[in-house]
Amino acid sequence: MTTTTTWTTTRGPLAQAASMTARSLVSVRNQPAQLVDFIMIPMMILLSITFFMGGQMMGTWQAFLDYAGPTLIAMGLFFAIVSTGLGLFADLKTGVFDRLTAMPVSRFALLAGRVAADMVKHLWALLIVGGVAFAIGYRADGGAVGVAATVLVVVLFLSACSWTMVLVGLTAKSEEQIQTWMVSLLMPLAYTSTMFVEIETLPGPVQWWARVNPLTALADTMRVLLAGEAPGAETLALLGWCAAILAVFVPLSLRAYRRRLTS
Amino acid sequence: MKYAIEVRGLVKSFGEVRALDGVDLGAAPGTVLGLLGPNGAGKTTAVRVLSTLTLPDAGTARVLGLDVAADAAKVRERLSLTGQYAGLDAALTGEQNLVLIARLLGASRSQARSRAHELIERFELAHAASRPVEGYSGGMRRRLDLAASIVRRPEVLVLDEPTTGLDPSSRTGLWAVVRELVAEGTTVLLTTQYLEEADQLADAIAVIDKGRVIASGSPTQLKQAVGGLVLRMRPARPDALRQLAELANWSVGAAPRIEHDEVAVPVAHPGEATAVMARVVQAGTDLAAFGLHEPTLDEVFLTLTGHRTETEHDERKAEAAA
Repeated sequence: MTTTTTWTTTRGPLAQAASMTARSLVSVRNQPAQLVDFIMIPMMILLSITFFMGGQMMGTWQAFLDYAGPTLIAMGLFFAIVSTGLGLFADLKTGVFDRLTAMPVSRFALLAGRVAADMVKHLWALLIVGGVAFAIGYRADGGAVGVAATVLVVVLFLSACSWTMVLVGLTAKSEEQIQTWMVSLLMPLAYTSTMFVEIETLPGPVQWWARVNPLTALADTMRVLLAGEAPGAETLALLGWCAAILAVFVPLSLRAYRRRLTS
Repeated sequence: MKYAIEVRGLVKSFGEVRALDGVDLGAAPGTVLGLLGPNGAGKTTAVRVLSTLTLPDAGTARVLGLDVAADAAKVRERLSLTGQYAGLDAALTGEQNLVLIARLLGASRSQARSRAHELIERFELAHAASRPVEGYSGGMRRRLDLAASIVRRPEVLVLDEPTTGLDPSSRTGLWAVVRELVAEGTTVLLTTQYLEEADQLADAIAVIDKGRVIASGSPTQLKQAVGGLVLRMRPARPDALRQLAELANWSVGAAPRIEHDEVAVPVAHPGEATAVMARVVQAGTDLAAFGLHEPTLDEVFLTLTGHRTETEHDERKAEAAA
């Protein structure tokens, strides 16, 4: 009791965010069963749509897997960004964030830590479910480089989109509300993109939207990279979307945080 | 600096409810200020304002001379909060919780681990340090929560109902730790629903009700204001109740009350109670039970709100006369 470890150092917002990331991931280490939870939704979306609907849509499920396999995985993970909102909502219900908010810690770090931890989980799911796709016959012409570049843009896109869920988690009144947000927003967004349908098959007015839909930019970028082609306009559009989403939702989230925790 | 915590005319409303309605508080450095009041009195709102979690609508709150609204970041450097609901991550182990706090506060990995171990020893949590907090008992959570608040020793510590729901031995243990921290120079603001707790720990008490401070002073002053101790006696035979009350009355001169099957005798100090008991024994009255009680928060409130009603009454009389 006589010894007391003291320090006068401080760490910057990124280091603090890294600590928060580690904190969210430590609970995975304590409860490794969570590792299975993360892959279930994207894996079931991939397998059920490929096997049960793929043949009807493209003649054979193998043809469908080649066309839509990777984007289906990305879509499954896109739905999983809801976990960022739910996780944050759960944190806010306990006293943890009261303590953290009353501490000299960057607000951005507290939120970014949650997003970064979820990215690690998404990356894990991406690799596992990607492996499943490989196992049932998917091959990328772009090879390892194409796959690595695709993984990178998917994680980048998901991390930008997760900030929308940070805002939802901070402003929602209940878990049900967050789930409703997911169904009413993410699903129409996903189904009006080239994630797993071709633009020409959509009704006329929706075609216009499908062309500018960020998920179309993601799907097109993924196809280009996986095919081993040089990235072009679609990749720029995707990066533009990521920057725009971050530019809008990071400040909005910080404002919502201030309102929620210091009202 | 006269006050480590200084609150002037603090007002905070949530919709129609005025949670704080002009609160003044002051705590000298190195002392414990007890904020005593029932649920919904405004205690937690006051705590949230002081720990920069809520902005006041009017009035000022200063911690170590720093305004909680204008200098919030500096206040957070020097004040630590132990909220009413444990500020812990239930999925993490006790040790991981402490390491996280230390890391966020700037410690290196090894400093964080060594600080966590010191606190685990000090708060007698070694047996549970590597278990997730969700399996902890209420008392263990509270100890860990307090440990988390002093990972870096704060100059001002705010404790919101630290012992609510704890068993007596956990409560005594927690009090001991608070005393140690005060001895090391920490200023403590403590909210509680228990007069006994405020009495045990606080140098000064402010009684708060409906967002207003209705009484303040040292524990002794406050207890004198509400009539000090109460001797309660229950006669073995219910028909001896009146006789017992008369005996007590004759002895001391204070007015005993008959409450259900008991006689309650207000006494200024234990000596008076002894005198009353001697009288009762001498008269040969058999007692089924007796005891000396400190006034409860209920009694404090009855007395204090009673005074306030009288004041209002007097004001109305004054208005009528004018």
